[in-house]
Amino acid sequence: MNYRKLVTTVEEVAEEGGRAVDPIARLAIVAVVIENPWAGQGFVEDLAPGIDAVASDLGALLAPRVMAALGGPLEAYGKAAIVGLNGEIEHGSALIHTLKFGDHFRRAAGASTLLPAVEKRGPAGVSFDIPLKHFTDATIRSHHQSVEVRLADAPHPDEIIIALAGAAQGRPQQRLAALSSEQK
Amino acid sequence: MITPSLTESVVDLSDRTTLHDYDAIARSSGLRTIMTASEELPRAQADDIRRAAAVAVIHNPWIGTGTDEDLAPATRRIAPLLAKLLTDRLRAALGGAPAIQAFGKAAFVGSAGELEHAAAFIHTPYFGNLMREALEGSSILCFVDGHASPGDVVRIPLWHKTAAATRDYYQTITVDLPDAPHPDEIVVIAAASTGPRPHARIGDRTTDAPVTSDILKEITL
Repeated sequence: MNYRKLVTTVEEVAEEGGRAVDPIARLAIVAVVIENPWAGQGFVEDLAPGIDAVASDLGALLAPRVMAALGGPLEAYGKAAIVGLNGEIEHGSALIHTLKFGDHFRRAAGASTLLPAVEKRGPAGVSFDIPLKHFTDATIRSHHQSVEVRLADAPHPDEIIIALAGAAQGRPQQRLAALSSEQK
Repeated sequence: MITPSLTESVVDLSDRTTLHDYDAIARSSGLRTIMTASEELPRAQADDIRRAAAVAVIHNPWIGTGTDEDLAPATRRIAPLLAKLLTDRLRAALGGAPAIQAFGKAAFVGSAGELEHAAAFIHTPYFGNLMREALEGSSILCFVDGHASPGDVVRIPLWHKTAAATRDYYQTITVDLPDAPHPDEIVVIAAASTGPRPHARIGDRTTDAPVTSDILKEITL
């Protein structure tokens, strides 16, 4: 898998709201910068060949790195595709919204739910927020969270950033009533 | 703010990692978050370059004090803990101290603090000496400091850890600060690289021709 840059970020939160977070919360993001497989081809009607060529390799590259960076079991996860200015948002969606891509992360994490996602287009250095939800039950409210990501100097106009994020727990200091408490 | 425990005890951190089980260190240093970002930059005909920045966000211990406050006691207590937390993460991200070739540091104080508060954490031996020791360097550490606000993007300069004047290693790493420093916080950063600029080729002082302003007399337009 050719890429220009791969960035691994680990966030550890020891305190939130003026109180200690116990255990210290961990969240990991792995983002890779690749050439847009459809760059320079005009409007491509059938994206399937490009997806087949790239999506599975992307999932295989990123998923184990997230688990290694997290250093333990995952409880919430999400994904991102950020397309450079010459591409279509559909190009980013194509690479992350197939089972070929997502199943690598589900298998590595022992997960079963669909991955929440952000897709957008922007210039190099654009910031984006990756949504994360619980890895086996997307209705578990304590695990709804998001993390801001920004890569220096990416994506260039003909590039795409593909990222996966995983958290070892829900929100630090999560204390909202469960969804079920409002469904009686 | 979390106040340090009233039952403080002496521990030996010299031979243990702070990558895990560091709750007591976090409490004692006023740590809110720590973020480690590492880049892998493949090169066609050479080894990948890996670069990383470790970023600690702590409570400013001097909020509410004046410019006559003695900064030494808190610096001596907290700066070594930050150096340990940050260099443990750089070494883990980059494959150990021997793999690291360039380094740099930074501190940014929130709007309710004083520039000198940032300086205290990085411009004293309590941080720099520990960072040099942990990363097996000998150079003076290059740096950037100042005030900052959440959402700022900062650039940290790096140079060679034992030969600071080696031009190929002059480089910067960009760090995003999405949620720090709050007005009463300080961000302290340690950064390092396993290599030079990806395709360094602008010579060095050993290969430079002598250059003075006389060159302005010979300009061809």
